[in-house]
Amino acid sequence: MLRSLAALLLLSAAALADTADGEALKAMGWDQIVNEARGGTVNWFMWGGADNINAYASDYIGTALKRDYDITLNRVPITDAAEIVNLILSEKEAGVTDNGTVDLIWINGENFRSMKEAGLAFCGYTSLLPNDALVDWDNPAIANDFGVPVVGCEVPWNTVQFAFAHDSAVLAEPPRDMAGLLAWIRANPGRFTYPAPPDFTGSAFVRHVFIHAAGGPEGLLGPFDQVKFDAVAGKTWAILNGLEPFLWREGATYPTTVTQLNELFANGEVAFSFNYDPAQFGLAVQAGLWPETTRSFGLRDGTIGNTNYTLIPFNSPNKAAAMVTQNLLLSGEAQLEKARTEIWGAAPAIEISRTPPAVQAGFAAIKTHPSVIPASELAKSALPELQAGWLTAIEAGWATNVGN
Amino acid sequence: MRAERLRLLAGLALALALVLPLLPLALWSLAHGWRFPDLLPQAWSLRAWGVASSAGVLGSLGLTLGIAAATTALAALVGLPAGRALGLHDFPGKRAVLLLLLVPAVLPGIALVLGLHDLFLRLGLTGSTHGVILAHLVPVLPYMVLVMASVFAGFDTRIEAQARSLGAGPVRCFLQVTLPAVLPGLLTGALFAFLVSWSQYLLTLAIGGGRVQTLPLVLYAYVAAGRNDVAGAIAVLYALPGILLLLGFIGRITGRDLGRVLRP
Amino acid sequence: MRERTRLLLLLGPAVALVGGLVLGALGLALLRSLRLLPLEEPGLSAYASVLASPGVLASLALSFWIATVSTLIAAGLALAAAMLLRQAFPGRRLVAVLVQLNLTIPHVVGAIGILYLISQSGSFARLAHAAGLIAAPGEFPALTHDPWAIGIILTYVWKEVPFITLILLAKLQTLGPDLGPVARSLGATRWQAFRFVLLPQLLPALAAGAALVFAFAFGAYEVPLVLGAHAPEALPLRAWRSFTDVDLAARPEAFAISILIAALGAGLLALHARLILPRRGRDAG
Repeated sequence: MLRSLAALLLLSAAALADTADGEALKAMGWDQIVNEARGGTVNWFMWGGADNINAYASDYIGTALKRDYDITLNRVPITDAAEIVNLILSEKEAGVTDNGTVDLIWINGENFRSMKEAGLAFCGYTSLLPNDALVDWDNPAIANDFGVPVVGCEVPWNTVQFAFAHDSAVLAEPPRDMAGLLAWIRANPGRFTYPAPPDFTGSAFVRHVFIHAAGGPEGLLGPFDQVKFDAVAGKTWAILNGLEPFLWREGATYPTTVTQLNELFANGEVAFSFNYDPAQFGLAVQAGLWPETTRSFGLRDGTIGNTNYTLIPFNSPNKAAAMVTQNLLLSGEAQLEKARTEIWGAAPAIEISRTPPAVQAGFAAIKTHPSVIPASELAKSALPELQAGWLTAIEAGWATNVGN
Repeated sequence: MRAERLRLLAGLALALALVLPLLPLALWSLAHGWRFPDLLPQAWSLRAWGVASSAGVLGSLGLTLGIAAATTALAALVGLPAGRALGLHDFPGKRAVLLLLLVPAVLPGIALVLGLHDLFLRLGLTGSTHGVILAHLVPVLPYMVLVMASVFAGFDTRIEAQARSLGAGPVRCFLQVTLPAVLPGLLTGALFAFLVSWSQYLLTLAIGGGRVQTLPLVLYAYVAAGRNDVAGAIAVLYALPGILLLLGFIGRITGRDLGRVLRP
Repeated sequence: MRERTRLLLLLGPAVALVGGLVLGALGLALLRSLRLLPLEEPGLSAYASVLASPGVLASLALSFWIATVSTLIAAGLALAAAMLLRQAFPGRRLVAVLVQLNLTIPHVVGAIGILYLISQSGSFARLAHAAGLIAAPGEFPALTHDPWAIGIILTYVWKEVPFITLILLAKLQTLGPDLGPVARSLGATRWQAFRFVLLPQLLPALAAGAALVFAFAFGAYEVPLVLGAHAPEALPLRAWRSFTDVDLAARPEAFAISILIAALGAGLLALHARLILPRRGRDAG
């Protein structure tokens, strides 16, 4: 009787113990980590605007976590990852080092850089995940997040490449390179706009113009360089300011978010929308928001591609469960599921050739949505992402020189 | 007669203006594709309502109801005695107390939110439901106290004295004499206190850190994602409880009651 | 003595809760705006940089514009609506119920509804297209995400007209019999009876309600979030953006903005308190 009571107490104590101590976890084997994770909860903060993606996370991933590991997934929908970075920053400032709010966050780019530089990321553990073997860390586009070395601080989840959408019923032959697009905008006043940076997507469009003004990405690779920046920035602002009279509402105002741009495109106010994740075009058509005749395209001079990741904050109290979640997200089966057109259509972050034959066959059988340009076709002309220092400078420069 | 017809027209215009913004929300909630220049949706669908009745959204509805109910109950519990003191007694410092209670009502919301976030972070109360309830008490409790003060100002203490002289104990006296007398005012105050908590957005976002997903936060997430259909359905779902509550109360609210409970 | 203990017990919890939270929040914000917490270089530098920033000043001007115009229009229309609802006409009960129902609708719902109604591709623009007035959305006037914040102001007017109307109706009930006919029998015109008899009696209630509306429209976040233009942004959006900036250096500025708004609120508080608090006596209602 007493013994069973003691056992019960021990058991509940074990269930209550958190796994905030990352160094202790790093000393463990994977099986031990999985044991520590059992019965835990993962608070996963992720952009919550697409119900397909929400459903994939809650239903497919959430169910598998509960079934296989007794882990509860609490998906927390957010609109802007920067606010969550700030939240963790506040926690650190207030001395919350082992009981943070966030266990896992969907992130990349400037937000990753901020977290890494401020020491907010749990690092040096990713090689412990068994499915880490599926990741090609020799690929610089995976090993660097917007030019910032990942070095074991986050786990890749999806790869994306920027693409444009147009309505083929309205515009049969869209321009195929940046020079052509700029000429098209001037020839069709009021039919084009882009979200004001720092919107993620609007900022990416401005970077395409910046690279165009530089005559290609070659001189812009590497860390931020003020001299090179000044030389290109002047040209970029001249192009964008020269464009303003031909933009939607004569450039007097810009959409604040890519959602507003999507809305303008849906109602035929502008002729193009664009996105880092072309799968979004297919989702918009399936939701009835966009016309069935929506098609998408890349540019001959290339579009920017990048990788997005999941990251565990330094003060997460459920690191073991978060690691198990990351490992599951990386698995061939989970990556295949989210690649399915009707689920999400997201391009994998793993090497398909390293997955089991059944998974490989699954990937081979996927048909992309007719509105979504296949990733393989986009990849034929890809541009590298500029390093985060460039991004900040371009966004600040746009605000003072163009968007004022 | 001409004047009456004019009034009728003005009344119609007012009624229309009040209802008009709600119509597109209801239509969007049933639309599958509704693009310019179509006056009505291209196709009808219950998909948005499928999302609005999913476990996640209904969970948020329950959470929002729970937070508003708990906030209101706490505010009534603490606010009723305080209202009694303010309504029935004069004492040094009364004006200062009244001024303090007016601060959350009159100070623009954003002025308090940032400081409250800092305070709650230091107290370890962010990211939790009870933290959000405590934060909602900031706008709700003073409001409840002021309403109860105004109710007690019209309360005749002699009926209590009578009951006590007839042998009723303090508890019985409160339950059978005081409470029934102030109940109508208390209920009206509670209804609007509930609505004040129900409509909080930034306070919940700041203190809950996104982890306490009340209905307005879910609603805005779909607005931000451009899902007008789902946003329409959740907006209707979010507006309904308040409307039903008020309709349930409508015969019982007097103009005088309303006059003392109103907040923008 | 027993009386004082009793009062303390009755009032204590409420005053401690509200006082602790409100003064704690304002105190922390003040300390942080002065860079006293965490202690770096104490001083007014955050205020100086806020007041020297053209963006913040434009935001301040915009919020002032929004709050002033919304309050004036809402107060004027509410006065008219209250006069209307005081009189008999068919359907008056229904209109009165609708006015009350509007109170329960959260601002964010109103903002989204207004957005779907008056945006350049909204319901009104589609009606204009059907009537042959416009050919494309861009020809419809820009009423949302516009520099004059028309959509934001419309939302506040829509929400606050019923609010002030009900305050006025409640006040009218307490005024007792209508003195208008008396004034008119003494030779006053309808307008004079309103202007010199009724309006002075209603003015304190109207001003008290207007002060609350002004404070709300100045400090609310969700309405400009849904309907605002990309620049300038309303002050609450600006404050929240500085607060959530990944650059922690922007924090003291966010707190400085919130303290400046609080100072403005103190002015409103003084006005509101003068209007509704009794000088002395026990009637707080």
